[in-house]
Amino acid sequence: MRFYTQSFLYDDPWSIVSLAYLLRYPNPYSTHILSCDVISREVTPAGSLLTTRLILKTGSLPRWAPKGMIHRAESWVLEESEVDPLGKVMRCTTKNLDHVKVMRVEEHIHIRQTEEGKTLQTTEAMFLSGFGWGLTKKIENYGLAKFKTNLQRSREGFFFILDLIRQSRMQTMTMGAPSSFLSHRFHSGAESKAPAHHEVSGNHSSREDATQTAAPARTGIWSRWKSWLRSG
Amino acid sequence: MASSLAEECTPLKRKYDACFNAWFEGYLEPAVSASITPEQRIKFSQEKAAEFERSCGQLWREYKDCVQRAVKEKGLDVLLDQARVENPLKEPPADSRS
Repeated sequence: MRFYTQSFLYDDPWSIVSLAYLLRYPNPYSTHILSCDVISREVTPAGSLLTTRLILKTGSLPRWAPKGMIHRAESWVLEESEVDPLGKVMRCTTKNLDHVKVMRVEEHIHIRQTEEGKTLQTTEAMFLSGFGWGLTKKIENYGLAKFKTNLQRSREGFFFILDLIRQSRMQTMTMGAPSSFLSHRFHSGAESKAPAHHEVSGNHSSREDATQTAAPARTGIWSRWKSWLRSG
Repeated sequence: MASSLAEECTPLKRKYDACFNAWFEGYLEPAVSASITPEQRIKFSQEKAAEFERSCGQLWREYKDCVQRAVKEKGLDVLLDQARVENPLKEPPADSRS
């Protein structure tokens, strides 16, 4: 089994980060997401929102994969999330439903408000192959490497949505009118400012930890978003 | 709002998602704080559930019926049942059941 952990601190309030996380698909970087459906959803007596989503992703196979190891490079992923707006905590677990004999990948996301009113996200991922044939370790390492590569892309997509929400909140403050992210979603707006977030280095000696990544360029986000929506 | 796994459900999903997202944005910023009593939590839960039902209940049932039918037709219910039974990462790595 291989592990990956990472922490990330946002200057934004918890409600905005959690909103962005649940609304992260689609975004211009999520072309690998073919479908995303809510299959169950309920508010618990304690006031938390439980959601189960079924997501279809495309993938690619490594060149060394034996013929017939996987018949199609698509994967059904189950996402189970719990949002507690009173405790300001969100948990989300995703796992693949098929190809589980080749490898199981499970990702746990935990988003909570810090005492300073910032938001801390921790990500844990586990890669477990029961394939055998001397390939188990290789498959798990491949899963981990692929996950790390894809993380940058999924983060770009997440920040794209987060920026839209930040902008709509800023517009709301400027105009003084009650509004929401959604009513502004398709409106034109000002160029976004630099993202306010920081990497927090992990400290798990036996685990693979995150490395610093450069902040993506973020110009013309609204025009890109609009043209992308039209083309979709 | 990504597509649904079944093309015929996508329009229903888009309507439902739009309604849910608007409700969810308000739900994330409750007027009450975390220090409330369990009774107040139950009240909060009931109010939020009722609010959702009023705004989105009908759209949710239409979309859910559509997607659940599609899940069965595609045989995905079998995969989902398996996932509920198995808790993979608590099993030993050498697990090789079929």
